[in-house]
Amino acid sequence: MSIVTVQLGQCGNQIGFEVFDALLSDSHSSQGLCCKRENEAYQASCKERFFSEEENGVPIARAVLVDMEPKVINQTLSKAAQSGRWKYGQHACFCQKQGSGNNWAYGYSVHGPRHEESIMNLIRKEVEKCDSLSGFFIIMSMAGGTGSGIGAFVTQNLQDQYSNSLKMNQIIWPYGTGEVIVQNYNSILTLSHLYRSSDALLVHENDAVHKICAKLMNIKQISFSDINQVLAHQLGSVFQPTYSAESSFHYRRNPLGIDWHVRPPLSGPPSLGKMSLNKDLHFNTSIANLVILRGKDVQSADVEGFKDPALYTSWLEPVNAFNVWKTQRAFSKYEKSAVLVSNSQFLVKPLDMIVGKAWNMFASKAYIHQYTKFGIEEEDFLDSFTSLEQVVASYCNL
Amino acid sequence: MRRRRVNPAAGARAGAGALPEAIAALSRSLPSGPSPEIFRRAKFDRPEATSALWQLLFRVLSPLPAGNALASIALEVQARLVKSALCSQGYPRLALAQLPEDGSQGSRELLLALSWLLARGPVPEQMLAQTRVPLGDEMTVCQCEALASLGPPAPHMEAEGPVDVRHVQWLMGKLRFRWRQLVSSQQEQCALLSKIHLYTRGCHSDQNLGHLSVTEAEMLRDPEGGQKLLRTLEHESRRLEAVLAWRRSEPVFWQWMDTVLGTCAPEAPAAASQPTFLPWVPECGDGELELVVRELQTLEEELQEAVERRRVAWEAKARGCGRGPEWSAARQAFRETVEKELGALQQCWEQDSGPAPAHGPHRLVRREDGAAGDQDLRAAELIRTLRSQEACLEAVLRQLQGQCRQELARLAGALPGLIWIPPPGR
Repeated sequence: MSIVTVQLGQCGNQIGFEVFDALLSDSHSSQGLCCKRENEAYQASCKERFFSEEENGVPIARAVLVDMEPKVINQTLSKAAQSGRWKYGQHACFCQKQGSGNNWAYGYSVHGPRHEESIMNLIRKEVEKCDSLSGFFIIMSMAGGTGSGIGAFVTQNLQDQYSNSLKMNQIIWPYGTGEVIVQNYNSILTLSHLYRSSDALLVHENDAVHKICAKLMNIKQISFSDINQVLAHQLGSVFQPTYSAESSFHYRRNPLGIDWHVRPPLSGPPSLGKMSLNKDLHFNTSIANLVILRGKDVQSADVEGFKDPALYTSWLEPVNAFNVWKTQRAFSKYEKSAVLVSNSQFLVKPLDMIVGKAWNMFASKAYIHQYTKFGIEEEDFLDSFTSLEQVVASYCNL
Repeated sequence: MRRRRVNPAAGARAGAGALPEAIAALSRSLPSGPSPEIFRRAKFDRPEATSALWQLLFRVLSPLPAGNALASIALEVQARLVKSALCSQGYPRLALAQLPEDGSQGSRELLLALSWLLARGPVPEQMLAQTRVPLGDEMTVCQCEALASLGPPAPHMEAEGPVDVRHVQWLMGKLRFRWRQLVSSQQEQCALLSKIHLYTRGCHSDQNLGHLSVTEAEMLRDPEGGQKLLRTLEHESRRLEAVLAWRRSEPVFWQWMDTVLGTCAPEAPAAASQPTFLPWVPECGDGELELVVRELQTLEEELQEAVERRRVAWEAKARGCGRGPEWSAARQAFRETVEKELGALQQCWEQDSGPAPAHGPHRLVRREDGAAGDQDLRAAELIRTLRSQEACLEAVLRQLQGQCRQELARLAGALPGLIWIPPPGR
């Protein structure tokens, strides 16, 4: 079961590169801590999901790269080719020389429709290469213009054209003190549109990852590259093959087969390192939790703490809301690692904050003309606010 | 239960050993059929024959294919499912519904139930069709349900109090998710089938087919699997022979069943007026019984008065409704609209389709354009038919959704001061 990745904008492309790199180097890692047959099954599964094979044996990432400026895409393509271990497809990218000026409306209403056919064609070619399509993984940021605007547009198109495939959007939550003035507008427009057309929203907050770099990894000068590598590591440990409870003989066929249930989740940052299961979730109610364990002693790991009904909402039994996936094969040389993917109230506060800030700006009509210029009217903003308020309210009432 | 008319001459022709042979044939033709000895014991209502017959009835009535799942279902559960299935098929004897579910008694009733099912339809043939080994890649074209679905016992759902609508939403989301997974899996299966058919062109000894199916390709790849397939086919063959033997010796069986029916106490007529479960009459002295009788009579009178009052009130209210010229005109108009809609729907469905495709599974064969025979169904035509049916249904769905939306808006508008925010369209 293969996943087609769509990398959008500067953020999406940089992260996408790190993700494929992390996946492949883990797949080739010699310290898997498991038997040879297990390792081979793992490698084969990983390969089939994310890479296709070319004649000379170099795996090609199943990805489509989209950006409105050529610089980042070129960098990404060359970094991949330089590694020698994998590369992007020759014709898998689409770029212009224009940029989007951090304007969501420009990305969504101008670039999107204008380049719709070319982008969807590229995606279709990738889909046709897959024996079986498991779904789409769309990497984008919320705050800019390209990733967010075109990302929302492309996701909507995917919903129309591939309505039976799953779509997961990886969203980068901007720094609270970000540099883009209209980042809050871009964010709320992105979220409200994705809410309608995506199946799952996997969120990484820049602030949280930054803290991980600073406190857990003790990096002094934190660059975007460091942040992206941490992100890629987290994503890799979610996406690499695992066994679920039902079928312990084959690696799960569909890595995107995470039951996101009612609404696209706004998931909290997964935890890294050795078996750290943070138990102070008492005031944070979850709709669903997924724990992924890799490495030594996974069979004897005790996850009973996650089955506490107090963690979940009253209308859902823990048995329905909690899942564990395991594999003995260690990830990226960590003897033991655990990831928690959570659909909970964790992001209510950040979401509320962004909505609040955006509303304050909107109330004084700041910068609105830049959006109305390209077809995003005030009603669209109001619709977005309404949707997001509903989401916040639903989560608060869990 | 009426006695089945049997040709006595046929029975007389058969010899003394014909009955055990007939029952043995029946037993061989059914999956895991019990021995003739069980049947004989059941005639005399012996308790040891009961559980085998419960299990046989369960196998017959359950549409699930054989497997370990069935074996693990408890006898009580099987018995309960059998009772409900028979009831829904209209089984007339009440005694069966009252049997205990632990398999301690009632084998004669169960034998009667089995013979009722055998008389109603070709049970051994149906069961054989269920466990048929398809050699080709098949799919069904018609949309009728093969058998009334019994399904595995569902978890006992108590509808206690109000259900949280979020739980319902969650369930809907889960259902939708599984549905999409199913569709993707089917698409994957089709792509792979297509590849196999393409790659094995020219490999089949039957020129008409031209390429191998999955089963046939597997057989070539894995000789041991081929041996297993051969054994399965031989087993199927034997069952088929058993079915034929059963059909030849059937009359003997029915004569014997007549005698079984004869040993039963006659059932009370007018079964419909009796409740399925008789009310429990407490044991008490005569005096108390009198009191109870009088109380019941008073209650009955009160209820009759209440019913009368209600009826009068309703008629007063409904006067004009249900009677009068405007009502009958309105009813006529309704009837015409419904007929028109149904006609349009049917027309829509029948528009492009040629003769209705046969029921049951069809083998998938990949051919060059134009090479299809007259009896063959062409995929392109079927797809066209299905697409037009889908379009019709979608149009109806959209119309109904529009009506719902209007109704909701009307309801919301009726409450002043309420702001209605519809959910974001999906």
